Amino acid sequence: MSVRRPPPNGIARQDYDSKKKRKVAEIYQALSSSPIDVAALRRMAISEGGLLTDEIRRKVWPKLLNVSTDDLPPPPEPDLRERSTDYQQVLLDVRRSLRRFPPGMPDEQREGLQEELIDIILQVLERNPQLHYYQGYHDIVVTFLLVVGERLATALVEKLSTHHLRDFMDPTMDNTKHILNYLMPIIDQVNPEVHDFMQSAEVGTIFALSWLITWFGHVLSDFRHVVRLYDFFLACHPLMPIYFAAVIVLYREQEVLDCECDMASVHHLLSQIPQDLPYETLISRAGDLFVQFPPSELAREAAQQQAERTAASTFKDFELASAQQRPDAVLRQRFKERLRLEEPTKSVLTKPRTNRFVKLAVMGLTVALGAAALAVVKSALEWAPKFELQIFP
Amino acid sequence: MMAAAAVELESSLELSFSGGGGGGAGLGSLPPARSRIFKIIVIGDSNVGKTCLTYRFCAGRFPQRTEATIGVDFRERAVTIDGERIKIQLWDTAGQERFRKSMVQHYYRNVHAVVFVYDMTNVASFHNLPSWIEECKQHLLTNEIPRILVGNKCDLRNAIQVPTDLAQKFADTYSMPLFETSAKNPNDNDQVEAIFMTLAHKLKSHKPLMLSQPPDNSEIQLTHGPKPALPCWC
Ligand SMILES: Nc1nc2c(ncn2[C@@H]2O[C@H](COP(=O)(O)OP(=O)(O)OP(=O)(O)O)[C@@H](O)[C@H]2O)c(=O)[nH]1
Ligand SMILES: [Mg+2]
Repeated sequence: MSVRRPPPNGIARQDYDSKKKRKVAEIYQALSSSPIDVAALRRMAISEGGLLTDEIRRKVWPKLLNVSTDDLPPPPEPDLRERSTDYQQVLLDVRRSLRRFPPGMPDEQREGLQEELIDIILQVLERNPQLHYYQGYHDIVVTFLLVVGERLATALVEKLSTHHLRDFMDPTMDNTKHILNYLMPIIDQVNPEVHDFMQSAEVGTIFALSWLITWFGHVLSDFRHVVRLYDFFLACHPLMPIYFAAVIVLYREQEVLDCECDMASVHHLLSQIPQDLPYETLISRAGDLFVQFPPSELAREAAQQQAERTAASTFKDFELASAQQRPDAVLRQRFKERLRLEEPTKSVLTKPRTNRFVKLAVMGLTVALGAAALAVVKSALEWAPKFELQIFP
Repeated sequence: MMAAAAVELESSLELSFSGGGGGGAGLGSLPPARSRIFKIIVIGDSNVGKTCLTYRFCAGRFPQRTEATIGVDFRERAVTIDGERIKIQLWDTAGQERFRKSMVQHYYRNVHAVVFVYDMTNVASFHNLPSWIEECKQHLLTNEIPRILVGNKCDLRNAIQVPTDLAQKFADTYSMPLFETSAKNPNDNDQVEAIFMTLAHKLKSHKPLMLSQPPDNSEIQLTHGPKPALPCWC
């Protein structure tokens, strides 16, 4: 496993810098083309290094979410807090969120941002009464606040909340639980031994709950890693965070297997996320897994308890990747589509379980090619000739 | 760049105090000798101090800062009771209602005891106790499981909203022992300790253990260890 670090010697450093420069240029080119090349921006957000700087993020994140920067929501009204039934809980959570702010930041500045954080959350909730606040939502919103500032953050978070985060914001967490149900089937595809071990430990999936519903914002202490992941998730299918969660577990497979096989030990091990993960490698792997075992393939297993059958082709998944729909709703909708279709679309991939090793071989290959980029583009035709160009050798 | 050391994180410190030295060991490095495990679940409204209490017991001090608990956090500590090594596992749950409905049930499995927590300075957290108790009943297979009631934040003397006699009456109704305590107060060093150790004793003996809290100034009394009195929890 190669961990990408700043290269050691001068020549490599130069090489790295020039790649970065090239990527910056490509991003600006995509931004200035008419119409804006959103597909290219998505690939940039996924490929190594992501969007590189907060300055670029301020420009690209709105594009990834299809939010117009000219038409931002109005500032909050003065009595917003009095009207809100969520204010108390939000206040409690934001007050305790000191760790989300840069350590050197003066208290006064941080307190100002915390006030803004409360306002953004309450404003989005008020404008969208179908959305329900959950503890951890503030961990997502703070990331946007710190990168793009209050007004734009409000717009981005609103869009995100009605799409990627929509399931987490239902009145109950049933759909969130449903999404967590994808975790074990993904692990099973890659390493059945780890899967079986975790099943016999009865560890459940709650160790990954905060990862999922905060997009890892709650558990990673280095803000640079958080924004790098947000680049990735913003560019991808809403279920990508659960693939990333699976990749983290799989990356720690030896630790897991060495652990005592009981709920407490395994839960404890997994919920303590290592802070020095090789993010670029893991991002690439998560993309691979998404391509190889798209949600449609896993839906059957994930939905077992709910007697819900869903199916779709990998093509469908690519389309959905750019459509950014509500993950659970997507699955349901595809179920309906499937009923309408006479002939079930065939997956290009082999059946799970039987050909695991073939798939692993494919995985090695796609890692080398940065296949994460596959997971986002509109159609299969589009990526074939291009995606090689998106990654650094 | 963040200086990780400068940031105290409640969940990063999961101490295992081993009885025979070598302290600070993580879970993985505990000696393989099988010690009995007592699994205790801690529940109650958001912000009542569940994370602080469990941290206090397992790490020996009040955490500088906590964050909202999402889902369930786990802490443990090894203790020695009457010469037997015992692991006390504390499952610190999220207080927000939406989590408890679909998320927390899994963690009720095989619990040996339940700790209900309310915030003495927040009467709403006290009024919500019946729904926590009711829910707990649905998840537990048996009535035999010891349950205790903890009123936290008694250090905030001027802000107390839940009088002791009211809380005591409530506890009596549900046949639970009541403790009023503070996860924060540095002077009550042994008090949080005493609460969990009392539970551990009870669990170890498998016999009904009498517990009580004197109506006034429990803070001092408890540091001398629990005194048998009423009520009984069986
Ligand atoms: N004064 C005082 N403050 C306390 C005490 N215990 C906890 N607190 C404070 O109360 C707040 C909430 O504490 P937590 O332990 O995070 O609360 P919780 O019950 O875990 O909350 P959730 O995780 O949201 O369910 C924090 O700001 C603590 O500093 C106490 O004994 N005295
Ligand atoms: Mg907590």
